[in-house]
Amino acid sequence: MSPGIAFVATALAYATASLLFLAALLRGVEKAGRAARYVLFASVGLHAAYLAVDAFSATAPMGRVHSTLTYLSLGIIGAFLLAALKRPNISVLGAFITPIALFFFLGSGLGRSVEHVSPEARSFLLPLHIAANVLGLVAFALASGASAAYVLQERQLRKKRLGGIFQRLPALDVLDGFGLRAVSVGFVLLTVGIVTGAFFAYRVHQGSVVTTSQAFALIAWVLFAAVLLLRLAAGWRGRRAAIGTIVGFLCTAAVLVSYMVRAQGGPS
Amino acid sequence: MSELFVVGLNHQTAPLDLREKLAVSKDALRPVFETLRARGLAEELVVSTCNRVEIYGSAENGPAAAEQARALLAERAGADLDGMLYAHRGVDAVRHAFRVASSLDSMVVGEPQILGQVKEAYDLAQQEGAVGTLLGRCFTRAFAVAKRVRSETGIAEGTVSVSSIAVSLARKIFGELGGRRVMLLGAGEMGEAAARSLAGSGARLAVLNRSPEKAERLAEECHGEAIPYEQLTAELVRSDIVITSTSSPKYVLTVDVMQGVTKARRMRPLFIIDIAVPRDVDPRVHDMGNVFLYDVDDLQQVAEENLRERKRSAEAAERIVEVEVAEFEAWRRSLELTPTIVALRKQFAEIVKAEIARTTPRLGELTPKQRKSLDKMASAMVNKLLHAPLTTLKKGAGQPEGGALIEATRQLFDLDEGEESEAEERRRESERPRAAKPELAKG
Repeated sequence: MSPGIAFVATALAYATASLLFLAALLRGVEKAGRAARYVLFASVGLHAAYLAVDAFSATAPMGRVHSTLTYLSLGIIGAFLLAALKRPNISVLGAFITPIALFFFLGSGLGRSVEHVSPEARSFLLPLHIAANVLGLVAFALASGASAAYVLQERQLRKKRLGGIFQRLPALDVLDGFGLRAVSVGFVLLTVGIVTGAFFAYRVHQGSVVTTSQAFALIAWVLFAAVLLLRLAAGWRGRRAAIGTIVGFLCTAAVLVSYMVRAQGGPS
Repeated sequence: MSELFVVGLNHQTAPLDLREKLAVSKDALRPVFETLRARGLAEELVVSTCNRVEIYGSAENGPAAAEQARALLAERAGADLDGMLYAHRGVDAVRHAFRVASSLDSMVVGEPQILGQVKEAYDLAQQEGAVGTLLGRCFTRAFAVAKRVRSETGIAEGTVSVSSIAVSLARKIFGELGGRRVMLLGAGEMGEAAARSLAGSGARLAVLNRSPEKAERLAEECHGEAIPYEQLTAELVRSDIVITSTSSPKYVLTVDVMQGVTKARRMRPLFIIDIAVPRDVDPRVHDMGNVFLYDVDDLQQVAEENLRERKRSAEAAERIVEVEVAEFEAWRRSLELTPTIVALRKQFAEIVKAEIARTTPRLGELTPKQRKSLDKMASAMVNKLLHAPLTTLKKGAGQPEGGALIEATRQLFDLDEGEESEAEERRRESERPRAAKPELAKG
């Protein structure tokens, strides 16, 4: 099996799972929800196979942007499946979370070039930096999936449209609590990522240049710190906290896009 | 073979005053069973609720028994019930029983009470010894079908009463209700019912009323806590769910009051159910952040929407019923099959016995060994002759045309008359020797 075929098969499996989750949410087809979970488990298997096949052609897997993205998508699905095993009533959130993973996975197919890691940056801290960032993003992806569901659910409650989708989504409080926990975990991880990132930036650029990606990372981190602080200190919750989470996640995703552009030889 | 039937009327065919007149109370059940038994029914069961009065039964002569049940209902009503009664026999009666138990025939499709009522009717009939094989199987299957319909379709989903909708909405906001604080303001009946079902889900209840005595009484009844009316604002800040049902002509919870409350609550969601007419809460409160205000009309609308949704689920339920009816029919046929086979074997064995008895005297004295061989030969012939038809019958029992096959067999071999000894005697004298002889000769 060539990496190309494995990639397409994995992408198709994620897409199928996304559609099945959507069908389960929108139409209330119970069988679709169950099938979606099976397909998602199968996708994880395919994804692992793809990584194994791809490893033969890769020199430093963690140093490649597309690999980072592919680990990110795998992490999102893995964490979601684990969370759904523990709390079956959130598995309907697959309709929000699986497309996010699919998006990152497809993104990983775009940047095929090997990122040039300067010798100064090579250190034991590099894997830690990448792992912390990836897992932080996984947590934020899950949090923003739950937040999107919250915003939708709150809107339906406000407009008094209490149809099937409203019935199938979890309670507001459940979504809010899930979002808070995921943001808290993600924030800690992203902090580790930022600190190690700053260390590299200092070593490589002697602190004189602030790159676009660093700026984005800082913005994302500040936004999340703000959301978390407002939640914990000022009692923020509900809709406002959910929107804050989504905005923070979009900024964080923008960091990744900027990495991708740089990896493909664009401006750093 | 006995046939099942049902005769009755329901909310769609007869007005309430007539249904009331016909209703059979528990105490009146025994005489009704006795009358039906005297009129030729083998089994009987009466379902009597405020929406329906139905007599289920079985008898050898189905149409005649159904006519008797119909006559009994007309006698009780003291009126002509033409056009109001429905009657179903055989498969149709089974289908009707399944649909009634599954709440497909109810006024509020999917309502849960009917299953309990049918179960009670079944228990009562069983206590009176009025339930036999057919009705027994029909109703135990009906209960299983009802369970399947409830779990496999959305027919019972979505509540249709105001107080249960309030509870399900609260659950959609707060998740688990255990430990949540519910405030009941005012003493309306519907408000009490909603507060009670919320408290039943584990929420703590605080009762506020302008009259402290009323608050005390209500708090005691609903296992809640009476709070002085002066603490209204403080209690609003503490509560998660508020139910208002005062008789105040103007808004009790105005935008001004609520603005202060929401500020103090920060962003904790507040669910207000305004059951009062005229309303107690300014509708503009719904536009405030993290406050969800629902009034009686909103809840009623949800009820209607849920009802429409249930009707859509009913189509899937009807399909389940059809499958189950077909299974019941297959079982009933297998029930007919066994006596048919037994009767057929008995008939053949008797013919052989009679013919051997007639022939042996002409053969002279037989040794026990010869006698044994003769018997053995005869029974082997019977078995071989019956092998093909019996195999076909058994195979056909599960098929749609199986009933016709059994019917044809009973007619061809005259099995239905076989139980009457007089007719049997006559046949033995006249027909059988001629029919049996060539077959024996062939063997």
